[in-house]
Amino acid sequence: MPQWFLRGLRRGVVTTHYPARPDASAATLPTPPAFQPEGLTAGLADRLVAVCPSWALTRSGDTLIFDAGACTACGRCRTEAPGAVVTSGEFELAAADRDHLVKRIPLLGGSASKGSASEGSADPATETTQGESA
Amino acid sequence: MTGAATPGRSVQETADELRRRVARQFGRSLHIRTLDTGSCAACEQEIRLLAAPHYDLHRLGFFFTPAPRHADLLMVTGPMIRAFDIAARKTYEAMPGPKLVVATGACALGGVYQPDAFTHGGIGETLPVDVWIPGCPPSPLALLQGLLVAVDRLAEKVRDLDFIQNGGRR
Repeated sequence: MPQWFLRGLRRGVVTTHYPARPDASAATLPTPPAFQPEGLTAGLADRLVAVCPSWALTRSGDTLIFDAGACTACGRCRTEAPGAVVTSGEFELAAADRDHLVKRIPLLGGSASKGSASEGSADPATETTQGESA
Repeated sequence: MTGAATPGRSVQETADELRRRVARQFGRSLHIRTLDTGSCAACEQEIRLLAAPHYDLHRLGFFFTPAPRHADLLMVTGPMIRAFDIAARKTYEAMPGPKLVVATGACALGGVYQPDAFTHGGIGETLPVDVWIPGCPPSPLALLQGLLVAVDRLAEKVRDLDFIQNGGRR
């Protein structure tokens, strides 16, 4: 107690604002998945939807709809498809609007990946993969 | 707060002014009431950790209060079981305005339970939610970020994430 008191006096203010420095424990937190569109076919997407225990994944045509709000970061989709699903490392996910948490993932070989080619940076890579496989 | 529209001002200007006044009011110190609507208590454990020295939410001006009448922010966990409807509404109505509601954890966001005879499967249809904090349970860091987003002291991050490739930003 006397040591901290003296140290506190010497160093001045000891409390900080929220993101003062990266927290050491942040890297070990379970985080929602991130998807690799190159490996994500419709069949694989259906398997991921079936394996998700919290209804965070649904498939609508050639788009996988991922609801980050419903995700419990259990990692079952990552175990099911280690090549196509990785850990995102994002845990600061607070949203002012529920719709901000719903993400659309284009599937391989679907028209959605071609249609959104102008907006997504990952799509040119998807299209080359498509060309090779066709 | 009576926001009577002054003639000659657009609705947008009035809304901006109101938002600034609310942010000023909430920006200093804020009292939180937690409400458990059928959660497994994992969210409560993380919320309790916020008061521990490592996270120390008091330094940011947040305090827990046991009474809704003293609370500015309602932190709701759990999937909102139907047996809790009246209690949740009474708690919300007992809070003085302006008030905020924060949905905490995947259950409250509609993830873990589907709507059935016993639960609404999410608090969205019962209470007007201002900020949604995902996670099962959300870590204390995620909760702190959510609280700071709720009082407009930190910008929302998830809108720009697409969860494609390593969660990369657009």
